[in-house]
Amino acid sequence: MKEEEEEEEDDDSHIFKMAASISGLLKPWTPRVLLVRWSRYNPYYLEPEVRKEAYSRPESELSAEEKEERELKKLRPIKAATNSTTSSLFNDPVLSKFINMMMKHGEKTLAREIMMQTLENIKRKQVEKYHKATDGQKEGIECNPYVVFHQALENCKPVVALASIQKGGKYYQVPIPVTGNRQRFLAMKWMITECRDNKHRRTHMYEKLSQELLAAFANEGNVIRKKHELHKMAEANRAYAHYRWW
Amino acid sequence: MAANCARVVCSLFGKSVNFASSTRPVTLQFCRQICGTPALRRKNLGPTVPETFTAEFIQKQVEEFEIGKRHLANMMGEDPENFTQEDIDRSIAYLFPSGLFEKRARPLMKHPVEIFPKQRAVQWGPDGRPFHFLFYTGKQAYYSLMHDLYGRVLKVEKHQDQLRAKGLFPTEPKQIALGPSRWLTKEEMEALLVEPISRQDYEHFIQLMERLLAMPCCSLEQQFVMSHRQQLEAQSMHQVVPPLQKDDAGVDFSTAEGRRKSSRGSVVVRDCGAGRLTVNGQDHLHYFPVLQDREQLMFPLQFCGLLGRFDLDCSVSGGGRSSQAGALRLAISRALLSFLSQSEGEAMRQAGLLTPDPRVRERKKPGQEGARRKFTWKKR
Repeated sequence: MKEEEEEEEDDDSHIFKMAASISGLLKPWTPRVLLVRWSRYNPYYLEPEVRKEAYSRPESELSAEEKEERELKKLRPIKAATNSTTSSLFNDPVLSKFINMMMKHGEKTLAREIMMQTLENIKRKQVEKYHKATDGQKEGIECNPYVVFHQALENCKPVVALASIQKGGKYYQVPIPVTGNRQRFLAMKWMITECRDNKHRRTHMYEKLSQELLAAFANEGNVIRKKHELHKMAEANRAYAHYRWW
Repeated sequence: MAANCARVVCSLFGKSVNFASSTRPVTLQFCRQICGTPALRRKNLGPTVPETFTAEFIQKQVEEFEIGKRHLANMMGEDPENFTQEDIDRSIAYLFPSGLFEKRARPLMKHPVEIFPKQRAVQWGPDGRPFHFLFYTGKQAYYSLMHDLYGRVLKVEKHQDQLRAKGLFPTEPKQIALGPSRWLTKEEMEALLVEPISRQDYEHFIQLMERLLAMPCCSLEQQFVMSHRQQLEAQSMHQVVPPLQKDDAGVDFSTAEGRRKSSRGSVVVRDCGAGRLTVNGQDHLHYFPVLQDREQLMFPLQFCGLLGRFDLDCSVSGGGRSSQAGALRLAISRALLSFLSQSEGEAMRQAGLLTPDPRVRERKKPGQEGARRKFTWKKR
């Protein structure tokens, strides 16, 4: 509790330039010096926890950090839940992120419709394959479109990426490890650009997406190939790996 | 003196409404200098010294305030003995209506302690000798606090050594009970010491306090430590629960409102057991054809597991489809609070259902095409 209060206080003293009273921190906020990326919430606010299971866990199951986090949540204000999150079973954060990345000009309904059609399409194809397969092969075929989607994205995530680092007047491509968020972003971005650019123009987006997702699920297709090429480049440049200083 | 001459004669209150200098809130807007000497009319007066308020001056202000308060109470036809600060604010707002947007620029009448900033009394005697031994450090309050704190650290160490010498050193030392609290911020420390503190000074102070807390026998100095900590109260205390009402048929219902962007929604939640949803007279399937909006309406009910129990009668106006759904979601969550226990309400708050969403459209800036988008960069 003490360490957490202390680090909270250290953050406070550096970031907060507002009034001393905590009531000042509970209002919608504009930083005094407008940073490039800022939000209408004070940094004091915590992220909301939407899943119902998180609240039904008894005290005994929690580790020390989780207990501290629970205590902290009781004292701090919480941000509002976004428009696209619900506590229902059908709410998937990865899927929501993918829909947002597919969205153009703020047309969420269209992006969501495409995604639902994609999942339906995947299901249809897999069920068709299931009915045509022999008994031995039937267990290997995954019919749940959500599982297919998640596994396909996992297969597309790169482990290392290249960064352009300047040393001695020249720019070198240095392999660096990729964080979880960046991996997810790259996988989704490649999937969407691949479907938009490299397919036949007369096919629907949901058709293109379902083909590419099923291919990625089976570790084939252009996106997987792109990931492998990136890994090969990183392997080739591994001599410069020590140029990374972080 | 400038304040005196700029004072508009206000015989109603007996000069108890304060007219401020530039550091204090401006009171009546129409106080121009009516009388003045050539010395005052001279501009470019040079660097001004911050005004010092003597104890007698403050005392006089307090007396005038008390008298003025009684006059005001008599004017408003209320009891002068039980005239509180809220009554004063109400009366001033009634007698001096102001359309100014900045609340701090409106006429105000408060106790002089709140208006005049706390200042240190004169720190040297008639012979010019300072009272405090640390006066010549320049930051006497801060250094005396650090001196005191270090003295306490040494005292705790001495106590620990004595215990160890006697062999009574506790293996599980009694933990100091901090409770949910945080250190006072730099601004609060400055208010406490009535002296400006630099950031490094404040950090030194916190480091020394943490060192004191790290010692096993620090519970000796519990009171001293707690006087420099601010208690944090649980956020759930701030929740306003709408009252549960009963209508003629004996059905429990509660009303609440919600806002999001420019939408305003209000909802009446009835404990019928039907699960019907009416929005602006239409069925919710007609009004919200998009699945995402209907999901948002059901979110609070689904989170609490009360899907089929309530009848919702919603009305909403303004904004677009998504912000109307968000406004109604907030209204439903607030109305549900009166049917739930406090722990369930706390769970709803932690799920982010009870916070009004502050995100609004960011304004377009001059020199840019939109809020963030810049004009196309042209090399020449």
